[in-house]
Amino acid sequence: MKPLPSTSSKTPVKFRMPTSENLVPIRLDIEVGGQRFKDAFTWNISDPDSEVSVFAKRTQKDLKLPLAFATQIAQSIQTQQTEFRSYKGQEMLTGEKIVPIKLDLRVNRTLIKDQFLWDLNNFDSDPEEFSKTFCNDLGIEDPEVGPAVAFAIREQLYEIAIQSVATARESRNAKKGRRGEYSSISRSTGAALDLMKLFSNRYSGVRKRKEWDVFEPMVDMLSNEEVEKWRDLEEA
Amino acid sequence: MASTEPPAAVTPPSSKPNLLPLASPTIITPSAAASVAVAPTASSSSPATPSVATPRPIPSDAEVFHIPSYSCWFSLGDISECEIRCLPEFFDSRSPSRNPKAYKYIRDSIVKQFRRNPSSKITFTEVRKTLVADVISIRKVFDFLDAWGLINYSPAALNKPLKWEDKDSKSSQHAADSPAGPSLDSTPPVRETSKRLCGSCKSVCSIACFASDKYDITLCARCFVRGNYRVGLSSSDFKRVEISDEMKTDWTEKETLQLLEAVMHYGDDWKKVAQHVGGRSDKDCITHFIKLPMGEQFASSAEFGSSINKLNQMKDDNNISSSSSPSKRLCLSPLADASNPIMAQAAFLSALAGTGVAEAAAQAAVTAVSEMGQGEPKADIRSLHGVQGLQDASITSNGSDVLKSVEEAHSGVNPKPEEKKVNVEEVEEEIRRVAEVQMKQIQEKIVHFEEVDSQIEKEWKQMEQMRDILFYDQLNLLKHERAIRKSGQQAAEGVRTQGDYVS
Repeated sequence: MKPLPSTSSKTPVKFRMPTSENLVPIRLDIEVGGQRFKDAFTWNISDPDSEVSVFAKRTQKDLKLPLAFATQIAQSIQTQQTEFRSYKGQEMLTGEKIVPIKLDLRVNRTLIKDQFLWDLNNFDSDPEEFSKTFCNDLGIEDPEVGPAVAFAIREQLYEIAIQSVATARESRNAKKGRRGEYSSISRSTGAALDLMKLFSNRYSGVRKRKEWDVFEPMVDMLSNEEVEKWRDLEEA
Repeated sequence: MASTEPPAAVTPPSSKPNLLPLASPTIITPSAAASVAVAPTASSSSPATPSVATPRPIPSDAEVFHIPSYSCWFSLGDISECEIRCLPEFFDSRSPSRNPKAYKYIRDSIVKQFRRNPSSKITFTEVRKTLVADVISIRKVFDFLDAWGLINYSPAALNKPLKWEDKDSKSSQHAADSPAGPSLDSTPPVRETSKRLCGSCKSVCSIACFASDKYDITLCARCFVRGNYRVGLSSSDFKRVEISDEMKTDWTEKETLQLLEAVMHYGDDWKKVAQHVGGRSDKDCITHFIKLPMGEQFASSAEFGSSINKLNQMKDDNNISSSSSPSKRLCLSPLADASNPIMAQAAFLSALAGTGVAEAAAQAAVTAVSEMGQGEPKADIRSLHGVQGLQDASITSNGSDVLKSVEEAHSGVNPKPEEKKVNVEEVEEEIRRVAEVQMKQIQEKIVHFEEVDSQIEKEWKQMEQMRDILFYDQLNLLKHERAIRKSGQQAAEGVRTQGDYVS
């Protein structure tokens, strides 16, 4: 990740994805006439809206889905887009936020469990880069894992960004009542960890041994039956 | 958790496949290697040996990929001007996720994914599920690669119109599909029929047309050259069909005889000739007369080259240009790259006239143009000689007229179209003269060769003499040498004995 820009931790920042580009995670879960279509991908919010219908039509055609899907897909994408944009003008407090990101996903046969820390203040961060490196380092052969990992990271970052907007709003309201309570706000958000707490061992930045397991990535390949089991679990 | 499951491709990507050139219009570009095309391997992908800077012959299990000739700038190693132009958003640093590195990643992944299974088309959705990038970027690159035939392209789809000809071909395809049926109902496959309509542009085929028996389609020459036929047809499916009034009804012997008589009597007055023959227009008479095999091959091609314009003045309705032998059926592969209008014209004309004739025309035109203005009638005769033997058109009064008029034209006199008489003997004399001249030429050549021969013999004798002299000299030298050695030895002995004597 690139070095931090010199943003003060206390000033509110305009809402955006805390990544180098405003790419929004879009999830699709559409059911038409007994057929269910689930999908998840990354969308560039700065692209024109005409792209939505083009993309929807394309997807429907490529997957040979019935025509009704195209409109549904387009609608779903647009709703999520508008939702993202509704946050646009607002401010969010980032503070000194290092958040743990958890990966717990199954892509075809690959099961991934991982946890790591992400710097919310780093607006140059790139989940795509992370995901590509992740797959390369762990020798993951299934090419669909990459986008899934990137998506999962983005989704969580998105959630956190939304939360921080909410807290910023709260703090503004609260400010009218009280003053100088910034630090308490940042501490009150459960997801954030204080830097000092994190590096409780003052003499080195290395993690304690007992925490290693938590932060180690685990990649598992499933057999056919296990895949079936997982699928049933998810559908339920 | 993501749980959609399209088919997963799990094989590791093959490194740097080799691309090879194919016959036009598709080219498979070489990434590093030289020769022989291998049939494209659709099934298992054996990894190709990595390409090296120096050209090597491709190993037999290497992969071969086809891309169209207009995409030959493509290479997996770098980004070309064309891509920068077509997808500027990746190169103008306006958005951080759209940068050249990301572009290259997306492009290379898509191309590699397609090449793992080149026989089947890859869809956008398949691709975007495997790439770590936002879907719109992927779609843009995918569409770009698709349009340029770098993916989802197979040599069987050769006749797909180029993307900028889309509008053109779409409309003509619609036209081709529907009238192809009804227009051919009236024209049975046999050639002796009435007017033929072109399937795509719906114009009457006048001079020549191209018919495909396999699919029962007729196209006029223009449409054929431009490639306005249905997808799935190739240029080799079509055969060239000559259309001239001649084809409609054959001349019977009686009619031919009448024609000859009339020509002898009336000479150049074709109207009277036509009357005499009965049932044929004057145009028909002229064309048939020219085509009569009189066994001469001379000066018929004077209509090409510099005098074509003068001829056209003289005979405005002479269809000489279309009168290549009716029995010729040419299979042409027109220039598919008809985007250049001049080439398209040239292709159209050559398609009309046939390859032999076109060649002759080109040669004659070149010689005539280079010799124009010299005012030598001989120049024309030479160029005419050069074009001999290409057509079966007969020597007629027109032939000799043309020769005379050509000479006159060169000296600046306007030819009078009405003064010539039929004189077969004159023509024969001309031919005799020509034959004599040629014989003389051959004789001279023989003499010349004899001279050269005798010269060579002389030189040979001289060489022998020299060799003998040299040999003689060598012998002398050896003798002297021996003599000197002997005397040397004696002298040495003498010295020794003297030495003994002295001491």
